[in-house]
Amino acid sequence: MRIAVCRPQVPFARGGAEIFTDRLVAELRERGHEADLVTVPFKWYPGARVLTQAFLWRMLDLDEADGRPIDLVVGTKFPSYLVRHRNKRVWLVHQFRQAYELDGTELAQFGDSTEDRALRRKVQALDRVALGEATRLFATSRNVAERLAGSAGLTAEVLPHPPQELDYRCEGYGDFVLSVNRLDRAKRIDLLLDAAAHDASLEAVIAGEGPDRERLEALSRQRGLDGRIRFTGRVSEDELADLYGRCLGVFYAPVDEDFGMVPFEAFLSEKPVVTTTDAGGPLEVVAHGQTGVVVPPDADALARAVAWLREHREEAGQLGRAGKAIAAGVTWDRAIERLLV
Amino acid sequence: MNVAYFSPLPPERSGVSDYSALLLPALQERVEVTLARRGARKPPRGTDVALYHVGNNPDAHAWIVDALRRAPGVVVLHDFVLHHLVAGITIGRRDGHGYLDIMEREHGVVGRLLAHGVLDKRIPPLWESRPEDFPLASVVLDHATGLIVHSRTVRDGARAAGFGGPIWTIPHPAWPVPDVAPERIGSGTVVGCFGVVNSSKRIPELLRAFARVRKQADAMLLLVGPTSPGFDLDRRLQRLGLVHEGLVQEGWVDESRLWALMAGADVCVNLRHPTMGETSGSVIRALSLGKPLVVSDVGWFSELPVDVALKIPVDDREVDTLASSLELLVTRDDVRTEMGQAAAGLARREHDLGHVADLYVAALEEAAGGDAVGEAVLGEVSRAAADVGISADTSEAQEIARRLAEVELGR
Repeated sequence: MRIAVCRPQVPFARGGAEIFTDRLVAELRERGHEADLVTVPFKWYPGARVLTQAFLWRMLDLDEADGRPIDLVVGTKFPSYLVRHRNKRVWLVHQFRQAYELDGTELAQFGDSTEDRALRRKVQALDRVALGEATRLFATSRNVAERLAGSAGLTAEVLPHPPQELDYRCEGYGDFVLSVNRLDRAKRIDLLLDAAAHDASLEAVIAGEGPDRERLEALSRQRGLDGRIRFTGRVSEDELADLYGRCLGVFYAPVDEDFGMVPFEAFLSEKPVVTTTDAGGPLEVVAHGQTGVVVPPDADALARAVAWLREHREEAGQLGRAGKAIAAGVTWDRAIERLLV
Repeated sequence: MNVAYFSPLPPERSGVSDYSALLLPALQERVEVTLARRGARKPPRGTDVALYHVGNNPDAHAWIVDALRRAPGVVVLHDFVLHHLVAGITIGRRDGHGYLDIMEREHGVVGRLLAHGVLDKRIPPLWESRPEDFPLASVVLDHATGLIVHSRTVRDGARAAGFGGPIWTIPHPAWPVPDVAPERIGSGTVVGCFGVVNSSKRIPELLRAFARVRKQADAMLLLVGPTSPGFDLDRRLQRLGLVHEGLVQEGWVDESRLWALMAGADVCVNLRHPTMGETSGSVIRALSLGKPLVVSDVGWFSELPVDVALKIPVDDREVDTLASSLELLVTRDDVRTEMGQAAAGLARREHDLGHVADLYVAALEEAAGGDAVGEAVLGEVSRAAADVGISADTSEAQEIARRLAEVELGR
C-alpha cells in the first residue's frame, strides 16, 4: 500500500510524536509498504492562529501523489488529522490539550475573554469533524481514548506502540534516578528537584531539552542541588541507552500524560518507574509494587520512594523485569497489523 | 461570560418554565447568568450573550420574541411550529397585517389568502386546524444568531426553513428522580399515559387498542392529566366497555403524585399526532424512572433509540400496531425489564443535567465569541490568499471557502 503518515512539525523541536511517526514510516517500509511522512509546520499562537495553521492541513490534496493514488493516510497528532482523504485512519497521539484538560490550569492557553472561550470551542469543533471522518480511529493509550470519548463522544480503539529502538540493556542499579523528558512545566521536573531538596542522598540525571531548562537549572542551583542533579541536555541514542542501563529507576510523572514512551523504555532496560497518582497514561502500565512505585504528587513521598528503591535494589530489579514482560508484548508487528486491517 | 436569560419561570406554569427551573441552577454553577425580568425589552447591561427560550404559547413567550427582535441572540427553540405564538403576537395585538405578512413570507400568495380567510373567519384558525403545515418559525429564525434545539427533527426543520447559523442539538435534561413511593393502581400490569387527554395525544386510538389488550391479559390503563374541553372521554369509555374496570383516570395531579403514579406504572405510553416538534417532559421522566415506552413514530419521538421505545407509525394500522405492542409489553416482563434498563441508561448518558449544562456552556461560548473568531480566521486566510493573487471570485477562493465550511470555520 501507499501510505502517508501525517505529523505536524514544530521547527527545531523533537519529541515522542516525532520518534513515533519516524519509526512508523520505517516499520511500514520494512513490511513492503511504500510509506512516507507528510509534515506541515504548526504554530498555535497567538489568538486564532491555532485555527488557521490547523486549516493548512485541510487544503492538502493527498488523494494522489505524482500521478499515483495514495491508498491510506494516517493522522497522528493535532492538527494533522484534519487532512482529507477517502481512507483516513487516525492513530491519535493527542488532541490539542490546551482546549481540553489543560484549560483552566497553569498550562492553559485560552483566557477568559469571550473570544478565547470561543476559540477553544472551535478547536473542539474541529476535532469532532476531523476525527469523526476517520474510517478507523485508534488511540495510543487508554487515557487518550477516554479523553476523546469524554470530549467528543468518539470511540477509539486503544493501540499502543513500542518505544524508540535503542540498545536497551541493564547494567545494574546505580545510585541515580533518571528523568527523560522534554523540559517544560507539564513534565513536572520541579517535583524531582523538590524531592532532592528533601533528601540529601537523592541523585538524579535529567536528560532532555526544552523551554523550561533555564528555570529548572536556576532552581537547582538555588536549592544547592549542584553535584546531585545533573542536566545533560539532549543526549544521543547511545548515551540514553547507557543512562537507562545504569540508573536505579526512572522518574516519570507528567501531569495527566497521554501515555509517553518513557515507561516502556525503562522497562526494556529492566528499570522500575517512579510516577504519581495523577500522571494519567503511565498508570496504565506502572502499577505500584508490580512494575514501579506510584506515589502522591508530593516531594516527600517521591523522596521516600526513591530512597526505598535505593535500599531495595533487588526488588527494584524485580519490578523492572516485570515491566519488561509487559513492554515486550507491544510490538510493531501487532500494531501495524491492527492499523492496516 | 455573562448570559442574559430570557424565559418564563415559576410560578408561571408551562413546560418551558419547568425546563428553566431545572436547567438554571446547573447553568449558574458554570457561568454567570443574569435573568431578564418578564417584559424586559432588551438584555440586561453587562451581558455577553442573550439566550431566549421560545415555545408556541404566546402568553408565555410573546415578550421574549419582542426582546429577540430588538437584540438578536441564541434561541432555544422548544417547538418548531410557532403558529399559535405568531397568532398571539399579531392577531392577538390587533395586527392583522403582521399575520398576513408572515403567512405570505413563508407560504406565498396562498398563505396570504388563507390568512385572510382566518381573519375574516371564513376558515377555522390555522393554529388549531393545521398548524404543522404552517409552522411560521421565521418569526424567530430571522432574528436568531444561533439555535439550540432538542432534536434532529427541529434542527432539520430549521435548516429546511433556510436557517444558516449555528445549531446546537442539546438533549432535554432529566429531572432527578424524587424519593417517592410508587403508587400502584391495580394488581395487573399497569399501562400509564401521562398528559392532557385529547385527540392529538391519540387517546381514542389508545383506548381502542387497550380494549383489545384487556381481552387477552390482566392489565390496567391509567390516564393521568386533565381532559381537553370538548373531548368526550366518558362516551368513548362506555362504548369500549372500559368504564368500571380496566381503567383508572386521574385529573391534574401535582408533581409529587405524578412521579409516584409513574413509578407505579409498568409501561408508559406517550402518543401524539400532529407534533409541533416538541420534546416530552413525561417521556424524559419515564426514561429517568427506567420505564419501557410506547410512543408515536413522529418527530423527536422517532429519534428515541429502539431499545427504549416501541414506535407506532401514525397510519391506518395504528390501532393494530399499538395493540400488539402493548400486548408484548404487558405479557413479557423480561422485555419490560430490558427496555427499562436501557431507558435508565439513556437518561443517565444523554439527559444528565450536568452534561446538558456543559453543552449549553459550550454553545453559549461559541455564540458569544464566535463572530470575532470567525472574522479573525477568515481575515487571515483571505489575506494569505490575496497575497498570492487569489481573489474572492475565483474557483480557488471557492475551494478555500468549501474547505473552511467542512470544518465549521466558514461563516
